[in-house]
Amino acid sequence: MIDSFYIAWRYVSFNKIKTLTLVACITLISFLPVALQLLLAESERQLISRAVSTPLVVGVKGSALDLVMNTLYFGDEVPELITMKASDRVMETDLALPIPVYVRFRARGYPIVGTTLDYFEFRGLKMAEGRQIAVLGDCVVGAKAAEQLGLKVGDSLVSSPETLFDLAGVYPLKMKVVGILEKTYTSDDLAVFADLKTTWVIQGLGHGHQDLTKLQDPTLVLKRTKDNVAATAKLYHFTEISEKNIDSFHFHGNTSIYPITAIIAVPHDAKSGTILQGRYLSKEETHQIAKPKEVIDGLLQNIFRIKNVLDAVILVVALATVMAIVLVFALSLRLRQREMQTIFKLGCSRMTVVQLVSSEILIIVLSSGLLCGAMVLLVDQFSNDLVRALFIR
Amino acid sequence: MKVLSKIQSPKSKIGTVLFFTASAIFVIFAAISTAGSSASDKLTVYVVNYPLKYFAERIAGDHAKVVFPAPADVDPAFWMPDTKTILEYQKADLILLNGAGYARWVNKVSLPRSKILNTSAKLKGRYITMDETITHSHGQGGEHAHENVAFTTWIDFTIAAKQAKSIADALGRKRSALRKTFQKNYKALEKDLLTLDQALVAIVSKDLSKSFIGSHPVYDYLARRYGLNIKSVHWEPDEAPGDAEWMELQTILKTHPAEWMIWEGNPMKKSVEILKSIGINSIVFDPCGNVPIEGDFLSVMLQNVENLKRAYR
Repeated sequence: MIDSFYIAWRYVSFNKIKTLTLVACITLISFLPVALQLLLAESERQLISRAVSTPLVVGVKGSALDLVMNTLYFGDEVPELITMKASDRVMETDLALPIPVYVRFRARGYPIVGTTLDYFEFRGLKMAEGRQIAVLGDCVVGAKAAEQLGLKVGDSLVSSPETLFDLAGVYPLKMKVVGILEKTYTSDDLAVFADLKTTWVIQGLGHGHQDLTKLQDPTLVLKRTKDNVAATAKLYHFTEISEKNIDSFHFHGNTSIYPITAIIAVPHDAKSGTILQGRYLSKEETHQIAKPKEVIDGLLQNIFRIKNVLDAVILVVALATVMAIVLVFALSLRLRQREMQTIFKLGCSRMTVVQLVSSEILIIVLSSGLLCGAMVLLVDQFSNDLVRALFIR
Repeated sequence: MKVLSKIQSPKSKIGTVLFFTASAIFVIFAAISTAGSSASDKLTVYVVNYPLKYFAERIAGDHAKVVFPAPADVDPAFWMPDTKTILEYQKADLILLNGAGYARWVNKVSLPRSKILNTSAKLKGRYITMDETITHSHGQGGEHAHENVAFTTWIDFTIAAKQAKSIADALGRKRSALRKTFQKNYKALEKDLLTLDQALVAIVSKDLSKSFIGSHPVYDYLARRYGLNIKSVHWEPDEAPGDAEWMELQTILKTHPAEWMIWEGNPMKKSVEILKSIGINSIVFDPCGNVPIEGDFLSVMLQNVENLKRAYR
């Protein structure tokens, strides 16, 4: 038997291209459905677990999927903005705790999630290092984001401009990393969290600058009247919030009309949740209240419908591949007629030929199995990230 | 005899010992757990000024630990807590804000919204916007003003009573089992506040034409509620006014012939004497934003009422 294996091994080693092609075909055809299944299971886990743990999301009327994906998974698609009044409205009903969320800006490619401290308690987020956000300009970073950006407590993180060519726009804000969150294996791992007010500073709605009423440099003052001081563009705006300049930071106008992307509403009980949903049913209503679980269930149904089609395609391709492999072996045996005859002439039985061919097939199948196993392990290891990169963006 | 022998059998003895040991352990554990839960049941309430501390303590009694961390020598309205103190605020069960823009630091820090109670939120319609607002413009935002809302709301004692009511309701929501106690305590506090209110109404109604100078623009709510005719300067009780300040006072006096100046704290002897020489007497009406050196909120306010009486004799 070992002799047969040795001869088979020598044969497959000699016919490298044929062997590699066969191994690649078998590997791919067995790897694809397993990997797809793994990724779908992981995406289902990620999507469902977060959706189930988020009772209600309030946002502007429109795509519920965009709203939920942005609020729960900090997706790229920013839904139309609503104002803090919507959050106050939920608060005033006394039916649910509103957690405003503003996911619009990014820092080195990672979403900046502007929210209140209630978000951390709601999601059960704990600090692995450092402390909670305390003042304007503080931020805490998700475990993976910190790892990938190489950030540690005390470092700085600069917000990215919304458009590259917005030269006259708002200055980026240099935030102070005050804490790093424990790993949660959710979207929170890949986010940068700041106070809602800090995101308004990033947007330019709040800012810090020299006291205009006390300006001495005439080049900084455009016009000064009894009731108004107009500054020139030379006026220096602080791009970092520190203990020294925090007093100069202020917000213009009424903060209740400041923007947010959504509100996570946490009802006090099931009945309160139902009553709250009822408040958003009128036709004139400009806001919608979505149940993330229902939205994600709908999304998953579509994904699984696509998965069924993919499964059918893979089955047909697998069948074709198996037939092709059989053909390859059949043709190969035909081409090796003279080789077989030599084996017979040497006094070997038909069984020896069967053993040789079986050994060749076994070597090819085993190699494919090993390769496929390694690839599956790799996918399993990175399924969390892959799902995030491929499905949840 | 049979019964006696049964009682004295070694098996029965072991059983009895085991029973009593188990009972003792159970009682000890029960005591520990009860003690633990009652300690943790005590609410931790953080406040931004002394009046709110006083109201919360009166209403909650022993059921809450009320913390007001501002140092004694600062004006809590303009104080900025350090990071450690902010983190302590974050851990509280309830954070009481005065509202009306009091304690601007609140807008610059992160506090859990679910724990915040703006005690004057329902009274926004009664806020007083001050005239002294300078607008300015720069950048894309255009012209804007940093609105100045008068924030010493509690010296209108009817507003103070409403603020206290919202505290009682919030405490009741946090500890529903103690709701009745909180409401009872609130009623006693409300009675005290409304007694002060009526006392002031009675005093001021004697002469509504009387004019006053306020040493600081902190008496807006007092003036509106009780009909006091007050114009304010920006003098500190512990600082001697400069020439510019005296000039400003003279200008005001031309159109506002006041005979009394109301001070936030005890003024310097020299200031009192100079004021006296131009026919202006001094009285103290302490808004009591920070913890008083002596007494409590009620005793300070009673003293304020007594002080104001002097002007109407």
